[in-house]
Amino acid sequence: MTAPAGSLLAAEGLRKTYGPTVALDGAEFSIHAGEVVALMGPSGSGKSTLLHCLAGIVTPDAGSIVYAGREMSGMTDAERSALRRSEFGFVFQFGQLVPELTCVENVALPLRLSGTPRKEAEKTGRDWMARLEVDELAKKRPGEVSGGQGQRVAVARALVTGPRVVFADEPTGALDSLNGERVMELLTDAARSTNAAVVLVTHEARVAAYSDREIVVRDGKSRDMERAV
Amino acid sequence: MSARRWAGDLAMGARFALTGGREGWIRALLTAVGVGLGVALLLLTAAVPDILDARHAKEDVRQDFSLTPPKIPAADDTIVVAHVNTSWHGADIRARLVAPDGAHPPVPVGIDRVPAPGEMYVSPALDKLLKAPGNGLLRERLPAKVVGTIGERGLIGPTELAYYLGERGLDRQIGHDPGVGRIKRFGNVSGESSEGLDPVLLLLVLLVFVVLLAPVGIFIATAVRFGGERRDRRLAALRLVGCDGRMVRRIAAGEALAGAVLGLVLGTGFFVLGSQAAATVELFGVSVFPDYLNPTPALATLVAVAVPAAAVLVTLFALRRVVIEPLGVVRTARPTRRRLWWRLLLPVGGLAMLAPMIGQGADNGNFNQYLVTGGVLALLVGVTALLPWVVERTVGRLGDGAVSWQLAVRRLQLSSGTAARMVNGVAVAVAGAIALQMLFAGVQADFTKNTGQDPNRAQMEVDLPDGVQVAAAGAKLEGTTGVRAAVALSRTEYSAKRLDPDNSMQLIVGDCAALREVATLPSCRDGDAFLSADWSDEPAARKLLAPGRAVWVDPSYSGSPGAEAPWTVPAKLPKVATRKDALSTDLSGVLVTPSALPAKALTGLRASVYLRLDQAVPEAEEQVRTAAMGIDPLAYTWTWEATTRDEKFDTIRTGLFVGAAAVLALIGASLLVSQLEQLRERRKLLSALIAFGTRRRTLTLSVLWQTAIPITLGLLLATAVGLTLGGVLMKMTAVPLRVDWPSVLSMTGIGAGIVVAVTLLSLPPLLRLMRPDGLRTE
Repeated sequence: MTAPAGSLLAAEGLRKTYGPTVALDGAEFSIHAGEVVALMGPSGSGKSTLLHCLAGIVTPDAGSIVYAGREMSGMTDAERSALRRSEFGFVFQFGQLVPELTCVENVALPLRLSGTPRKEAEKTGRDWMARLEVDELAKKRPGEVSGGQGQRVAVARALVTGPRVVFADEPTGALDSLNGERVMELLTDAARSTNAAVVLVTHEARVAAYSDREIVVRDGKSRDMERAV
Repeated sequence: MSARRWAGDLAMGARFALTGGREGWIRALLTAVGVGLGVALLLLTAAVPDILDARHAKEDVRQDFSLTPPKIPAADDTIVVAHVNTSWHGADIRARLVAPDGAHPPVPVGIDRVPAPGEMYVSPALDKLLKAPGNGLLRERLPAKVVGTIGERGLIGPTELAYYLGERGLDRQIGHDPGVGRIKRFGNVSGESSEGLDPVLLLLVLLVFVVLLAPVGIFIATAVRFGGERRDRRLAALRLVGCDGRMVRRIAAGEALAGAVLGLVLGTGFFVLGSQAAATVELFGVSVFPDYLNPTPALATLVAVAVPAAAVLVTLFALRRVVIEPLGVVRTARPTRRRLWWRLLLPVGGLAMLAPMIGQGADNGNFNQYLVTGGVLALLVGVTALLPWVVERTVGRLGDGAVSWQLAVRRLQLSSGTAARMVNGVAVAVAGAIALQMLFAGVQADFTKNTGQDPNRAQMEVDLPDGVQVAAAGAKLEGTTGVRAAVALSRTEYSAKRLDPDNSMQLIVGDCAALREVATLPSCRDGDAFLSADWSDEPAARKLLAPGRAVWVDPSYSGSPGAEAPWTVPAKLPKVATRKDALSTDLSGVLVTPSALPAKALTGLRASVYLRLDQAVPEAEEQVRTAAMGIDPLAYTWTWEATTRDEKFDTIRTGLFVGAAAVLALIGASLLVSQLEQLRERRKLLSALIAFGTRRRTLTLSVLWQTAIPITLGLLLATAVGLTLGGVLMKMTAVPLRVDWPSVLSMTGIGAGIVVAVTLLSLPPLLRLMRPDGLRTE
């Protein structure tokens, strides 16, 4: 496949089935560095599957994904893991912070996985927590903080390695609107400041409004709203 | 609070336990299987008294004679029985030769008639062995025609090997061979019963039960907590719809109750299935008929009541520090520090209960069963009380390290109780086993006797009955496959009186080569005679050694006729030194070559053939047994051992191994279920960690650390408690205090091995759970 000019991550003809269920049926996607793209669609439309394929979490049955000029389908599991560790960041709906680690240890975890010494990793982690206005929670465990605070810690964790792409799967799904908006502001601001692309899965128009572009996924097919216009 | 309200809440809990879709069923099934396995083991224990009674009754019913054959004249209704027990590849065969005296002999229990000469009744297990390919030697040994099988009434277990073989002329051996006797009926007519257990052995039996059952109880307590985290979330939802804190606790108790009751049902099922399979299973040489496996009603009732009650109590105890709020469960994020003082009460109390019995064993050791049970139980359960404290304090001090280490340590710091609970069963089992092994090793010497046999000099011995030609038998045995050398030596005695003498002198008869096996001979020719230099020099013996004195070889005793062969003590009787490594310590006296005795004297000899085997030849021992049976069915063959141990002591030790094997299997299963449950609970988190690039090796190592740290602490604590308990028990039995390090290390090694095995078994599911597509439902 030839990726759209200047795109950081692009996919074409993605197909993925789970048993008899067709999750993706020829979906397409592309994103540039520093761009925020929202994947929208109703529940079960395939938007999360598309995100997982783009992030190298799930291997599509057919189609092509190109990241920074490299075809991802040719990568081994270890190579994809390394890519996720160093180039990508993740935010999930329920944070998925490790409950037994403190917040700063959670934020520092991706750095430590890449071999950064603990003290240095935690220092960088604290800096990111400060940027996301949760530095006072450094020593607390996830069970001791609110949902909104936890999600901001998760955003800090996603950004701490300086990823080129942040994948956010319903990052505000478990938050009230006020907290949700604050998390989105912090996420998009921080990403733009580092020129990171953000792939944002949501079904809320209010959240999608933070994106530069929207792609609607329905029945496993994608439709780029900007191009459609 | 009305009972009705209680019942309503418990019933609601029970409904939650059994409904809730696939997850709910899996959880209920895990609990029920866990509890069920424990219950099955408890029911098996409850059946032990009946099993022992039944086996004892069977032994009584089929008994012919035990130590002393009765002296009964031959009659129409009498039968001569000979004990000719043998073995096949280490398995004992109960063997009896029978020869009726008349037309109406008593019939052995389990068969419908006395087998005629050349006929044989065999147990079903022996029948199977005889028919199995590759057992030609056994068929050669028992060539008689099989005319039927021994019924269940005549056997103590379904896999027992036994036969009754019809024979002629057995009565000739009565009075000569202590294994041959005449009886009027089968059954324990003498009223002889097995002696009561030595107090130390009784203590060992008691301890084996306590040590084995304590981990089972702990296992059940663990099993009712399977699925605890999911249940807590469900309880939080109930709080949201209006249940108060007490109600949700009762509902939780109801859930545990349902799991326990389901476990009781399953356990009964396992027990019934297991008892059916018992007919085909033999464990450490023990097999039982399914009919014997009847739990004592009182004990079975106790199990049926205690298990559900324990389930409820354990659940309420486990929830004491859990605050269930409408919006979620707060397992008090930073739990209050565990206090040591009350945790020490159990072991200290246990020691206090055992203390009064210290030193009793040396005399007549009447150990108070209740104090022993209570004390040992308190000490062992004390492990489960102390372990969470030890784990909490230790992991609280552990520093940071690699990511896998950090993940493990942090998790242990947050939930040290869960980690301790996982290894509690192993720790208790290991502590108990260490204590018991120490005691076993300590008292072993008291129950072990030196046989005087030196397996380096000979490996087997065949004792021949009267009338067998010694030289021919020796030659035949020497020519048997696997025999390197055979030494034939016979014994008899001579005395000054022909009948019922007061004094006698032992005569050892053998050719020069055989005599050289017992003494250092300067020179020897057939016809020579010698005197062992270490023979008693007392006046009575001196008289019997007077050269030229006329004596009687093999004098008669009342009821035991001898050859009564006249002989003259040789004029020349040089003294010879007995070899330090003589074949047997009692082979001394007058050593004579066969020609030095009159022919008549050679008819009443008690002959033994000592055999040296070629250990490289497979089945050499079986070859010898078969050859011996061919020489004479009454030939008694045995393998030499330097020491023998008390049979009851060995039985108790076997019981410990059987029980320990079952308990350890159970604990292993519990650990695996508990481990898998924890992994399932963390499925999403594991997938998320993998999603952002965590190496599988890191997570696998983290799981290994999470198990290794608590098990190391658990085993250290178990060793400390086990050594303490072992020391106290040794003091109680007045055995010198000595730590049997090999058994301590082997026990801790087995405990660690179980954990390693469980961890390895949980790796495949862990790797499956670590697939990033686990995020699909995120």
